[in-house]
Parts: sequence; structure tokens; C-alpha cells
Amino acid sequence: MSGPSCARALISATKRVKISSPTTNGQCLPLPRCTISGTNQRRHDSTVVEASRHLDLTPGAAEAPPTSITPANIDQELANLRLPRAVQATYLDPLRHPPTLGIKTAELQLRSYSIRNLEVFTDFCLRAAYYLKLAAKGPIALPRQVERWTVPRSNFVHKKSQENFERRTVSRGIKILDGHPEVVATWLAFVKKHQYYGVGMKANVWEYGSLETGKDMDAEAERIAGRLGEQLDLVGGKEGLMVKHAQTVEGMLGSEPFKARWGAYAAMGGAGGVPSAGRRVESVRVGKKAARARAGKEVDAAKAE
Amino acid sequence: MAQFRAKKLDLGCFINIKVIRDHTKRKVFEQHEPERQALRYIIRNTSLPQRTRAQAQLQLTQMHCYTRPTQIRNRCIMGGRGRGVLRDFRMARFQFRMNALAGKLPGVQKASW
Repeated sequence: MSGPSCARALISATKRVKISSPTTNGQCLPLPRCTISGTNQRRHDSTVVEASRHLDLTPGAAEAPPTSITPANIDQELANLRLPRAVQATYLDPLRHPPTLGIKTAELQLRSYSIRNLEVFTDFCLRAAYYLKLAAKGPIALPRQVERWTVPRSNFVHKKSQENFERRTVSRGIKILDGHPEVVATWLAFVKKHQYYGVGMKANVWEYGSLETGKDMDAEAERIAGRLGEQLDLVGGKEGLMVKHAQTVEGMLGSEPFKARWGAYAAMGGAGGVPSAGRRVESVRVGKKAARARAGKEVDAAKAE
Repeated sequence: MAQFRAKKLDLGCFINIKVIRDHTKRKVFEQHEPERQALRYIIRNTSLPQRTRAQAQLQLTQMHCYTRPTQIRNRCIMGGRGRGVLRDFRMARFQFRMNALAGKLPGVQKASW
């Protein structure tokens, strides 16, 4: 398990959490509520009171029996300290919202060759769904795919001596029930932004519309055409951009450092066989800066008119 | 065929003449695929006049052999071998074994069951 230290910490955290199989997850659902009303909660109250007593300088407060922390019991006192709620929640199963209607709106499939990475990230996705107030079902253990290859050990003849290799792909599914399309999109974007190494994701999203969906789509297309104007014919192919940068890109593609950078010389380098390998996705900036830039442009346009 | 070949090397993998040739064939096929499909459609369409169909047949046979999909063969990206290439890794069997044992192929392990 070689990875960056932050990743290792995350994995060891799950070890402590002891993420269990989905069958036991279902039984553990009400656990957080139990602990909230448990001893830890009381411990927290007492510490708060203690702190206020120490600060309180009135004579009545001084008479109250002070809880003394001696070097002998300091370890125990520390052990009894309640963790902050958010930290404590990471030790427990992810919380879930109950579905209202039970209509499936999204399905996220996570795949990996490493079960630990997968479990960590599935847990993360479920927590993200909870904090976005999405009702999530999962993790659903999907069938493990085993691919096997048998190759001769030698580079030439000697067919009798062979070796077996295999690749196991483990996958988990998360179902989102009754999610608003925008919230689901936000969740997917968030999950994608924080995607974990070695874990692939695939999402199916369902949207429910009225019977006049065709009309809505026409209206939407017109709205988009109005907003984009001349830029619309650049959508998709982006021909103008491609022609403009074709020379530089060609030069870059040929240069050795560039090829080395994207791993052309690595074992599975230059994976042109992957359907989307050659596709470059235009990055869209989101945030205050981009919004300000956009607003500035609109103002300029208004002035020009 | 040299007339199809790129003037500048446009490959990032292991290079030898067979690899370059195969790459050229792929590009030429891609370029001429619509034309080939159109001719094939004309040939098979029984509602068209016999003369047109025969002409299309002739045209198709007279196209360069590099435009045929059957000319394309998967080759090993590490050694250019044409036989025993695993489609999943685009590598010949021995290169696959070496890379798998070196741990360079994500998720591939020695199997025992």
C-alpha cells in the first residue's frame, strides 16, 4: 500500500471505523442516535459545567465541589472527553435520510481494484449525500469481476510452463432516492471533485418531467441559442479553437517531455484504445472570480448597446 | 506505402517499421471509411440499377489495400510483436508478463485458485 501520507491516514481511519459489509450496515443504522443519548453526551455536559465553574468567581461557585484533575487520573479524564460531533460521526456508519417516495433518481457505481480505497470512497460518498439531504441507499455490493490471463512463462516456445494472472474489479453501488436533479448534480460534482485515487465512477441519472417534455426541450434549446448566439456552432467540435491551436498542440504532442508526462513510455502508456482517451474536456471555471468576469462582460455589452 | 505515411513520426510507443506501417493503415482506413461504406451500400442495394452497382464494385476493388479494415492488426506497444497481443493491455504475452510481475499494470496480480 504505497500512497501519499494523507491517503494512508484516510485508509487507517476506515480501519478504525471498521466499515462493515452492507448487510450489517443496515442493522447499525440507528447507532448514532444511541450514542448521542449515551454516556459521552453526559460527559460533555459535565465538562462544560466544569469550565464555567472555573471561570465563575462568585463565592457560591467557589463552594461547589471542584472536580480535581490530578496527574493520576488525567489519562482517564482525557479518555472520557467527548469528541466533537462531526469527528465522532466519522467513527460511525454514515447517517442517512429516509426516502419519502422511493423513486430512484440516480445510481452511482464505484469500481476499483483495491477494496480499501473503494470502501473509503463509498463511505465518503454516502456522507456527502447525507449532508446534501439526499436519501441514499447503499453501499450495495455488486458482483466482483475477475479477469484471468494465462501466458507462457518464457518469451519463446516452452508452452508447458505457464503462469496465471488475474485482475479483480470490486464495485459498489449507491442509489439516490427522490433527489432533486440539481442536488443530485451537485452531489455528483462534489464526489467527482474529491475523487479518490484508484476508484472509478459511473453514474446514471434519471429525471422526471411533465408530458410536455418536448416543448420544454425546444424552449430550453431556444434559450441556450439566445444566450450563446454565435458561439453555438462552436459547441461540441470547437472547430475554431482546434484550428487555432492545432500547430501548438501538434508540437506539444511530438515533444519528448510532454509524452513522458502523460505516460507514453509507461507500461500502459498512450492508452489510445480507451474510447475517451483522445478527448479533451473544456474546463469551465466556477466561482466568484469567474462570476465577476462574466458580470463584467455583460456590463460591457450593455454599455456597447 | 510511403505516400500515406506521415512526414513526421506521430507515434509514442515502441517503433519499428511494422508498427509504423500498421499505424499508417489505421489512419488511411479511418480516412476512407465513409467512402468504402458508401460503395458497399450501393453494391448491396438491389433497388439500384445493375450498372451502378457493378461500377461501385469495381471502384471498391480498385481502392488501395491500405483502406481495408482487414489490413489492421493489433501490435504490441512495447515490442511491436504481431502475435500473442492481449487486447486488454495492447501488449504481447511476454511483455504483459514482465510488466505484470513488475507491478506496472494496475490490479493485475499472480492468480492462484
